[in-house]
Amino acid sequence: MEDLESILQKHSFLADLRPEHVKLIVGCAKNLRFRPGEFLAREGQKEACMYLIRRGTVAIETHAPNGETICIETLMPGDVLGISWVTPATAHFDCRARDTVIAFSLDHDCLDRKMREDAALGYAITSRLLDNTYQRLSRLRLQQLDVYR
Amino acid sequence: MPMRIGRAGHDIDGVFTWALEPSAPFAFEPGQFNMLYAHGVGEVPISISGDPNDFSSLHHTIRVVGNVTEALAALEAGDEVGVRGPFGSTWPLAEASGQDVLFVAGGLGLAPLRPAILSVLTRRSEFGQVTIIYGARSPTDILFRAELERWRGRFDVTLEAIVDHSGTDWYGPVGVVTRLVAEAEIEPEYCVAMLCGPEIMMRFTARELEQRGLEPSQIWVSLERSMKCGVGLCGHCQLGGTFVCKDGPVYRYDRVASKLLLRGL
Repeated sequence: MEDLESILQKHSFLADLRPEHVKLIVGCAKNLRFRPGEFLAREGQKEACMYLIRRGTVAIETHAPNGETICIETLMPGDVLGISWVTPATAHFDCRARDTVIAFSLDHDCLDRKMREDAALGYAITSRLLDNTYQRLSRLRLQQLDVYR
Repeated sequence: MPMRIGRAGHDIDGVFTWALEPSAPFAFEPGQFNMLYAHGVGEVPISISGDPNDFSSLHHTIRVVGNVTEALAALEAGDEVGVRGPFGSTWPLAEASGQDVLFVAGGLGLAPLRPAILSVLTRRSEFGQVTIIYGARSPTDILFRAELERWRGRFDVTLEAIVDHSGTDWYGPVGVVTRLVAEAEIEPEYCVAMLCGPEIMMRFTARELEQRGLEPSQIWVSLERSMKCGVGLCGHCQLGGTFVCKDGPVYRYDRVASKLLLRGL
């Protein structure tokens, strides 16, 4: 049976991370399972961790004044949920499991401490988050253009 | 030539498809368009959206955007419309033979790609892996939904659809079409990509495909410009040194990529 460290290493967000850094992160990680419909985060609530999605789809949702739910984007295996939650933050959207979702949670207090203690780890994680943020921003810019109107 | 409207069907909001009945067999190649004339109002270029192997009916899918298309939308089965064509260049099905084929359509861009998709599916054994990626604004804006679901049900086609936003009644992915292009299982060396949709979407998709390892010469796009004559005489649709009605609408991407970055062209 694979241990948490070897499974973590296979997630695309952590690809090519130095083995000693993966070892450091293992202590902050939990392997979690969410049932379909279960919320990984709720808009307005404080979030204590970020998630690396391994399996399933997570819908990023908000709601209109009439109560209608609007899905803005779906995240897939390999994606990171909570790119702003590496430090304590409030969720801006509801994040709901569309189907059974398996994800690693990374506790932000723990991760933040280890990133401060080891600057190389801090840089590795921050540059990955920056790349992820840029990709997400590019997609949202295209989405905002509403090209099919 | 005048043609009778055999069937007229509503597809999605503001979009309808006609099956015209030519008096003689009407041959065309996937990617070509016709000039459709609403008597007394005007003429518009409309891509052919039907099966190129069906010579007895000629399909056009039309979005209502102006006076002429409004006049066309008011016509019914049994009415007559003027047809000039077919015009323009074609999707590179001969070049794609023996290769994997990736179709990426956005919104109404599925209509001009449909003849190419139908041709590939008819001659399925001539091609490698066939992947269709379709992006729409919302689930209610998905064109040819029943047909997409049929194609998706085939064992020899991979089809993924994505919408820009949705409610809770859509179980597919939500986001932009480039997201699915980034995830698509393709072998860059053996792939021909055909893109059709809003020009911005095609530029972003081509960029994503280049990042995946495709050369611009493996990517084909279908462009739209204001067309009048359809034969490269009037100059309305000039794009650099080419005329979209005659040299296009289907272009190899490396031949137009730089022109698409010039404002006002």
